[in-house]
Amino acid sequence: MLSVQDLSLSFGGIKALQGVSFTAAPGQITAIIGPNGAGKTSLFNVISGFYRPDAGQVVFDGQDITALRPDRRAELGLARTFQNIALFRGMSVLDNIKLGAHTRLKAGVYGALRYFGAARAEELELRADIEARVIDFLEIDHIRKAPITALPYGLQKRVELGRALAMQPRLLMLDEPVAGMNREETEDMARFILDVQEEFGTTILLVEHDMHLVMDICSHVVVLNFGQQIASGPPEKVRADPAVIEAYLGAAA
Amino acid sequence: MGQFLQFTINGLMSGAIYALIAVGLVSVFKATRVVNFAHGYMIMFGAYFYFTFAVLVPQAAWAPEWLQSWRPEWMLAMRADLPMFSPMAAVLDWLANAPRILLGLAGALVCNAILGLVIERTLMRPLMGQSVFAMIMLTVGLISILSGLAQLIWTSDAEFVPALAPNTPIRFELFGANIFLFGTDLANMAIALVIFIGIVLMVHYTKSGVAIRATAEDQSTAYSMGISVPKVFSRAWVLASTTGAIAGAILATRNGISPALGLFGFSVLAIVLMGGLDSYLGVFIAAMAVGVLEALTQWQMGGEWAGIVPYVAVLIVILIRPHGLFGSKEIERI
Amino acid sequence: MITGELKTSYRADEQVLNNRWKRGFVVAALAGLVAIPLFGNNYIVLIACQMGIMLIAVTGVNVVIGYTGLMSLGHAAFVAIGAYATVIFHNAAGGVIPENLLTLVAIPFAVAVSALAGIIVGLPSLRVKGLYLAVATLSANFIVIFLIEEQIFAPWTGGMVGINTPAANLLGWEMESRRELFWLIAVLAVLALLAAQNLFRTRVGRAFIAIRDRDYSAEILGISLYRYKLMSFAISAAYCGLAGALFAYFYARILPEQFDLHLSLMLVAAIIVGGMGRTMGAVYGVIVIVMVPEVIKVVFGALAGGGAELAMIRAPIQEIAFGALIVGFLLFEPFGINQIIDRALRALNRWPFARG
Repeated sequence: MLSVQDLSLSFGGIKALQGVSFTAAPGQITAIIGPNGAGKTSLFNVISGFYRPDAGQVVFDGQDITALRPDRRAELGLARTFQNIALFRGMSVLDNIKLGAHTRLKAGVYGALRYFGAARAEELELRADIEARVIDFLEIDHIRKAPITALPYGLQKRVELGRALAMQPRLLMLDEPVAGMNREETEDMARFILDVQEEFGTTILLVEHDMHLVMDICSHVVVLNFGQQIASGPPEKVRADPAVIEAYLGAAA
Repeated sequence: MGQFLQFTINGLMSGAIYALIAVGLVSVFKATRVVNFAHGYMIMFGAYFYFTFAVLVPQAAWAPEWLQSWRPEWMLAMRADLPMFSPMAAVLDWLANAPRILLGLAGALVCNAILGLVIERTLMRPLMGQSVFAMIMLTVGLISILSGLAQLIWTSDAEFVPALAPNTPIRFELFGANIFLFGTDLANMAIALVIFIGIVLMVHYTKSGVAIRATAEDQSTAYSMGISVPKVFSRAWVLASTTGAIAGAILATRNGISPALGLFGFSVLAIVLMGGLDSYLGVFIAAMAVGVLEALTQWQMGGEWAGIVPYVAVLIVILIRPHGLFGSKEIERI
Repeated sequence: MITGELKTSYRADEQVLNNRWKRGFVVAALAGLVAIPLFGNNYIVLIACQMGIMLIAVTGVNVVIGYTGLMSLGHAAFVAIGAYATVIFHNAAGGVIPENLLTLVAIPFAVAVSALAGIIVGLPSLRVKGLYLAVATLSANFIVIFLIEEQIFAPWTGGMVGINTPAANLLGWEMESRRELFWLIAVLAVLALLAAQNLFRTRVGRAFIAIRDRDYSAEILGISLYRYKLMSFAISAAYCGLAGALFAYFYARILPEQFDLHLSLMLVAAIIVGGMGRTMGAVYGVIVIVMVPEVIKVVFGALAGGGAELAMIRAPIQEIAFGALIVGFLLFEPFGINQIIDRALRALNRWPFARG
């Protein structure tokens, strides 16, 4: 579904990514792990188009998207969440989720100004769709009219996931979906992620520090350290890899 | 060629005054991240203060006579021997005005410093840490307040104000072309350049300059490192309002005092963005470049076209280099 | 509490006027509008016309500043373009298009020209934001006014001394008096408000707000910053162009200086006072910005009784009051009158229980 080849990215003298290559298999959950500052979020930013890589390619569903603007990538079906929640504070939960569906809608300026007619039909259809497929699914129907700022952290993360789901993405990228959550919230989130994979068959790519979560739900793990890819493979294999142990725990004395 | 040189030199002289005004805007931006849209109107206040202390006060009934016109015995004696339009006579005429020029400058500096402090303490400081939009719009509101106040306070029309330096004509030859200048213009340029360089040196080499730069880099870190950020804010505003006072005095002697002085501030705003908001060097180059461009436009296309030169120039620069010629771009994060 | 408002369909839930109080308010407001030309005296009609024209322009400014978060200090330029485009169109097409159709074509023409100008002036917004954009739009304002005043274009624009404007003619209904023109202004103002409100019920409006709140995240979610920033500028310029066209019909003569920086600042001041990013904010803001100088005028008239000295300080006092409104709201109520009214209604709604 998604493959990156030989990606390199640097900021001035700092090499954020050096020759990273991996493939996320369709319908599977792939995790990117690594210590802080390993370049995981930079990699996400390159894949979603916020940063331009210095070298390398991003291929999505057979199409080279390395030079595409972020919004064009979203149109192809790339959705993501952000490490520091990036919800729109000026909108309600419902509007945030509707915004996620932006690329699926068609209303133009004229239709929007007029509203009554095609635009309204489209909006009502969207409302029915996200009520069933997102709001019900993520169990956030009690907060749909609430302003974002009034929500606790865990719910904000869930709304952000909802916004990404509203896009009906083919690839869902989750940047630390359970960071800062307690065990109960983490379990809820893991359940939602697995449900998404199961129900919609979405390919999922996630960055996460919670090793239990990664080992439990992922089928493929990519390990980064200082911008370099030091291991890649199924969880059991990666867990036993000496290079990975060294990166996390330091060299054995 | 002769004309070209003449207009270029004229342009450099206005450019220096642009630079003098710009230095205040840049200093306030460096310290507080606020760009003062009403800076032109603070300059107008400086001009009116200069007018008040150099013209209105000396004319008052209670003012001593030497303040109005200082003519000691030796000066009268010297004057008597000179022909009408000699350079020395111009110097003596200027000297006779010296007391009121000094009083005017001192008054303008002190009053404008107070004005700057009052604005900073009552309006800008409560908005510390708010959005850029709020701060900019606050200075936009200030435009109307200052402009209305000036009309209320100085109802009389501003008369002729004494020039800062003797107005002797100066002629010389440059690359075979005859150049003609006025002494005051040259002196104004010198004053502007000295102040500009002085402020740049101060910001780079003195303790309070370092405080300004540290605050520019990161306000909260600077605060936690023991730098009194509010004090830095006040200093920057005083710096801007006092340089503005001198610029106001100079402009008053050049073009007279009118509400158009306030609009002058917008041209300088354009220049500052063109140079790059936080770069003294960039702003200096932009000021000189716009000064020369304006003069050349005036020469080739007429005076009214010169007025929009800064605005056209800033649009072109922003489209090509969004953060100005020498401005620093911040790395965007999400 | 407002109770008994139970929704049974998403359609009902998506309505803007989702309770009977709001519906009642709108009906009362429309009735009030109709009453103005029927029962109001000339002064009331004059003020109401000015407010209506201003409201259309402020609604446009609200789209670009309040909702999209792009700062502009140059929207008076679009009002100017709309006004001059109308006059020039009338003068140029006078013989070609029948008299009674002219206005029907001239207004869309003016709106289209302004929208196009909006796209051009909006170009810097693709590269810069905030302060830089404020100065860029301000510069555009100066340049547009300069070009209107310029000798070369004087045959069409009238140059510095301005130009006489035609009267509106709707299918043979010549709107010579202000009372007649009020109908046109009121209908267009209400439609403009409605359209702006509609915008924010669809993906276009949501995209604007997303750009205001977090532009880069919005782009990653599939919103083209290029397209929507320019679209926002175009829509707001179109609104201002419509206001400009009505401005031209309303006054007998237009002058370039009527569209200078001061008008741009008035438009922005109105949304700051009224409440940014709120449809009703534009309404409240316009009422205050138009009424405050009028109230000062009336008070001074009563105090001075024709005295020349007091009359001289009236203009500066009006100017100071205008600035003080901007500063005061920014310092004490940054979300404007809309917020004050919301808070009051909430308190009323919960009374006698929790307040605030």
